[in-house]
Amino acid sequence: MGYLNNSVITVDAILTNKGRELLARGDGSFKITQFALSDDEIDYTLYNPTHPSGSAFYGQALESMPLLEAFPETTQNLRYKLVTLPRGTSKMPVLDVGLSQITLKQGASLVITPQTLNYLGANQVFESSGYTATIADVRTMNVFEGVGVNTTQATNLNSSQTLGTNVSKTVIGTSINLTATTVNTLFGTTLNELNTTLTLIGRDSGARITVPVKVTKTTT
Amino acid sequence: MSFKRLDPEDFLVSADSITAGAWTNNASTLATYHKNSSQAASDSGRYYVSVYNSDAAATQEVQFNIAYGESNGLGSLPYDGNIAGKSPTSTVYGQFQNIVLGDENSDFIFGEYTSSRFYALTLDRARFKGSLFPGTMTLTLSGSGVSTRTFTDNSKEVTSTVFNEAGRVFQLVSGSAGTVNTSVNTNGYSANSGSYGLFLPDIGTILLNPYALDGTADDGGIALATSDAVDTKAINTDKMFLAVSGGASFTINSQENLTSDFVFVRARNSEYNYSANPSFISSSTGAVLYNDFINAPQTFITTVGLYNDENELLATAKLSKPLKKDFTKETLVRVKLDF
Repeated sequence: MGYLNNSVITVDAILTNKGRELLARGDGSFKITQFALSDDEIDYTLYNPTHPSGSAFYGQALESMPLLEAFPETTQNLRYKLVTLPRGTSKMPVLDVGLSQITLKQGASLVITPQTLNYLGANQVFESSGYTATIADVRTMNVFEGVGVNTTQATNLNSSQTLGTNVSKTVIGTSINLTATTVNTLFGTTLNELNTTLTLIGRDSGARITVPVKVTKTTT
Repeated sequence: MSFKRLDPEDFLVSADSITAGAWTNNASTLATYHKNSSQAASDSGRYYVSVYNSDAAATQEVQFNIAYGESNGLGSLPYDGNIAGKSPTSTVYGQFQNIVLGDENSDFIFGEYTSSRFYALTLDRARFKGSLFPGTMTLTLSGSGVSTRTFTDNSKEVTSTVFNEAGRVFQLVSGSAGTVNTSVNTNGYSANSGSYGLFLPDIGTILLNPYALDGTADDGGIALATSDAVDTKAINTDKMFLAVSGGASFTINSQENLTSDFVFVRARNSEYNYSANPSFISSSTGAVLYNDFINAPQTFITTVGLYNDENELLATAKLSKPLKKDFTKETLVRVKLDF
């Protein structure tokens, strides 16, 4: 008779930049209430459903691969989340913002209204819980706000403000309002454009899209 | 749905005690002792002498300090020659009265012996970390013309722990590693002058009883010859330094309580079996990469993220290797957060 495997996997966590920021605030915003899992670093094309040794070996190339250590940068972690969907799902939810890149002149505004494809049996839906939008460098925006979701969490998140360095900012909404910065000093003496990224995640579906954002200098 | 709320029972706060050798590089025993001439010559040298593990400036670190306290200011130069009784030794005495006794009118009692003087060995904060670990100390002292004698605390002998203003208090007795030497006295004390001092683990300090150490070998002492001279700068701290360095062995462990938060992350069989990973789909339409994934998807967990209500990522943990997940498996991951 064999022994049952009763092992529990233990991993050490590190605080992200955002975690450190909220811990430093000391206002209770550092409160872990939920978790997510991701498969960052996994390339599913390495999964081999035709492996001659059978199904136990389909994932052979993935199961023993070494993994990198965790990054403290918030936007570089859990980029691809695992999601809970009904068995038999043939199409994964995909986000569509209608843009492959966002280019804004200084002071210019844009409203983004994401949609989710292949979710809840519909070809195209607006998720009822809205979307999480993260701008990697909040300094590039004068306005970065989510609208359309009136929960306490969304209100708290949308009203939070961090001054100073190039930290990210996350908001929640069904639409995201962007207005590019008018501050010239960010461009220094040589730059004509600022580059960052906008990451949108469906709060219900977990679908994700990252769009490059460029702010071009208009004044001297 | 990629976020899952944690239940109150998924959180655990655990305090673990970590013990290690107290000295630099977690060595348990310090065998070589060095002074720094500039420290000894400085103003602080009037109060204490710092003991280093090395005489090489690049590698030396303070291990502990030796101070001498005397209620009437004996044993050191007075601050002002016209004012008797006020000197660095009286200042040190008052300092430890305040910390250990909490009463400026009380004297120290070593065993049953009341003393108005003491030697203090104060371990550097980086050495004793949280506290000294009772029962691990063996301090070897050598005296003039007397063979060495070892001292330890009586924490293994007492039936109840005594507390004072400095936390736990144990008597310093003859013996080693918590085992009492009864050759002079059945309780490990000196023959006529009480215990050899107090072991104060919570403030990383050992107080030594000069009267017991000054005794003869038959009395259980080391003939240390503590001086009452008031015309020499640091005569008694130098005597103790010679006694410690002559003994050439000071063994003690530190103890530190590390508080960790554990978060138990549970993925049920029906959860987290699909992925938003771009390689999980075959095209921009979102179709899964393999037909096998429609009814028997497999995902590989590499990362756990901990979030607040606003979906802000607060902490992240990586697994050492991918963990396979499908509709036939449930997963429990314990995430440890140290602060």
